[in-house]
Amino acid sequence: MIIKKIQIENFLCYYGLNTFQFEDGLNIILGENNEGKTKFYEAVDWLFNGINNDLENLVSAKKLKEIALEDSFKVSSSLTVEQYNNEYKISRSFTVHKSNNNEIEISNFIFEGQETDSTTGQRIPINGQVLLDRIFPFQIRKYSMFKGETELNVFENEEALANLINLFSDARHLEKYTEKGVFLREKAENAVDQSTKLNQKNQKAYNILESEISQLEKEKERLRIHINSTEEEKTKLEKNIKEAEKYVDNAEALQTINKRIKNIEEKISSLNSKIDESFTTSLFDENWILVNFESFHKEFAEKITGHSKTRRELQSAFDKQKGILEGEKRAKAELLNNAIPLPNNVPSKAVMEEMLDDEICKVCNREAKRGSEPYEFMMKRLKTYLESQVIEDREKDKDEPLFKFDYTYRLDNLTISHEDNLKNLRLIRSKIKDLFEFNDNRKKDVEELKEELEKEIKEREKIIGNARIANEDKLLSIFKNYTAWQEDFRGLNKEFFNLEAKQNEILKQLKLKKEEKDNIDLNSANSFYLKTRDILRNIETIFKETKEKKFDEFIDKLESKSNKYLSQINVEAFTGEIKFTKKKFSGDRIKIDVSLFESGGRYFMPGTAVRTSLNISILLAISELANEVRDETYPMIFDAPTSSFGETKTGDFLNLIYETSNQKIILLKDFIGSYKNPDGSVKELFIKDEFNSIKRKKAFWVKLERPFDKKDLSTINTEVNPL
Amino acid sequence: MARKDDILKSFLTHELLESKYMLRNEELPTTVREALNSDIPIVKAIALIIEGLEKSPSATDYELRTSILQFLNSAI
Repeated sequence: MIIKKIQIENFLCYYGLNTFQFEDGLNIILGENNEGKTKFYEAVDWLFNGINNDLENLVSAKKLKEIALEDSFKVSSSLTVEQYNNEYKISRSFTVHKSNNNEIEISNFIFEGQETDSTTGQRIPINGQVLLDRIFPFQIRKYSMFKGETELNVFENEEALANLINLFSDARHLEKYTEKGVFLREKAENAVDQSTKLNQKNQKAYNILESEISQLEKEKERLRIHINSTEEEKTKLEKNIKEAEKYVDNAEALQTINKRIKNIEEKISSLNSKIDESFTTSLFDENWILVNFESFHKEFAEKITGHSKTRRELQSAFDKQKGILEGEKRAKAELLNNAIPLPNNVPSKAVMEEMLDDEICKVCNREAKRGSEPYEFMMKRLKTYLESQVIEDREKDKDEPLFKFDYTYRLDNLTISHEDNLKNLRLIRSKIKDLFEFNDNRKKDVEELKEELEKEIKEREKIIGNARIANEDKLLSIFKNYTAWQEDFRGLNKEFFNLEAKQNEILKQLKLKKEEKDNIDLNSANSFYLKTRDILRNIETIFKETKEKKFDEFIDKLESKSNKYLSQINVEAFTGEIKFTKKKFSGDRIKIDVSLFESGGRYFMPGTAVRTSLNISILLAISELANEVRDETYPMIFDAPTSSFGETKTGDFLNLIYETSNQKIILLKDFIGSYKNPDGSVKELFIKDEFNSIKRKKAFWVKLERPFDKKDLSTINTEVNPL
Repeated sequence: MARKDDILKSFLTHELLESKYMLRNEELPTTVREALNSDIPIVKAIALIIEGLEKSPSATDYELRTSILQFLNSAI
């Protein structure tokens, strides 16, 4: 089968009718990202598998904007193929109507086929699905279209590969023979049983044997189911362990580095806790605020000393004055010959004033003229009396101290106290210096540790990156589970061996019982039944083993061809060798494990590019083998299958693909260069000269019509340019 | 070579035919048509099965069982 033409009409970015004319062999479609490559793939995928759902999402926005209200247009994807000289067309389409209120209505969803008779040229309509399944069977389509590198890995599922091999190898023709072989043998066995039972002589023993065999068969079946489920579990665990082994070194390294990181973080935290920057406390509780107090203290002390001296001088003067008054008092007493003086009020004030007015001393009856000694005496006496009237105050003043409160003493004491404390205050400066030095050193240590931490974190990122697991938790969880899985695997293995031992024992017993039964048959059944049974037993063996042989031959060929492609795709690069390992399970189930091995027989985990090469190699090998064993070839469509390759390797890959037999359509973003505007935006795209050296039958360049508004979908139109 | 002849060939090259039936490769038929005329019961039985399964529509289980068992029971 060859795809002659694919037409895409008003489908997403494909505005109007776009035609791709293909040829047998290699067809390449180039396109920058987001310019229509994947939409081409999606159009073909929609043609094959589309359903009548969300169709409005497939409509070209440009076409929709362009048409008038109440107008309609068609959205379609169609394929024209040639097979056995006949031409077929398969088309999936629907109609879009733009209503008056600017809404869209979808109708006429059609999947139709059409066959053109090669001789008459007559076109015959056929149901699209029926025609598609006839010319391009589902099982083959499944392994013909691949989007991106990850989808190439159809062999992750071991059974998928076994099914694929069954599909393409000669073994597929023999499957029905193994079934019929079993069926005929069973019928022949029944005929023998019936014949034996006709002989009454051995009937009892025969019945017992049949019952025992039936019992053993049931037990065998029970064990088979148990063994199968144990095997399933073992396979899952084995896969997990194998998967974990890829990461175990990284996980171990990660755990070590996490410990180191934790240690560093603890050190940093400890150092940070030692750094004391609680300066408010230090300032007030530890008197740092007094670091410059000494000069103030000096000034204060000088002032207090001066003040104290002044006070003492005042006190001394006061005390002297007090002493003089006391002296006068004593002198008066001596003048009166120590006789007791008259009271001050004798004569009375009135008498004294009268005598002064009269200028006569009426006590001694003498004249006392103004200014004379007696007059002055009387005057003095009056004054003394008058003064005596305030005697209480004067008496009071007499005991009053000069300073009522002795603050000077307290100030003196404060000075002395400060003086004593000066020794401690002088230490503050060095304390501050020490603390700042200590803090600075710790901060330096913290900085160094942080640098170390940063390095360790980078190292950790590297480890996680190398493990190709984005999630650190997942990596650690794999490591955590690794030991548990190994333990479980050992347990399952033990259980498996026990079950197998039991099964072998049952099979041994069954063999013995069947031999016993055969012996009875030999003596009781008709000989031709026995001979027929023996021949059909042999035919069953021949059918079963021939099928297995064909399957194994196909695997050997597939392995050899896959390795041929692997080395061709990776010229001068290390790839290892692909090994297909057949695993046979109870109940004749088969799985195929694909791995890469180094020459020493060691399994290794390839990088993305080698993994992609591995998958493509197997697909190409299957395709080549399919062509050999089938009388028909089928196209393969790959969307960006070699993203991890790089342009040179992609070029080598394409030249290799060119040499392979069946039709391939490959969508790539390689070989496209661009001229840039000063602001870095793309001015113009061009096809690089390197593409000229790529062998191909047909090539297209899908690119957006320019200019377009990147925010307006209705300006988007992919143009198809044949190269 | 028709597919059914290929299938026949793949069965007749099984070692059991030589080890158990002493049949050498060169004395074995190469086509189903020849095999259907063979005097060797196992060879003819295999040919009958192939003929039954490869014709269109293929033989039912009943037809297959009847033809094979009847042939073998009478031929040996």
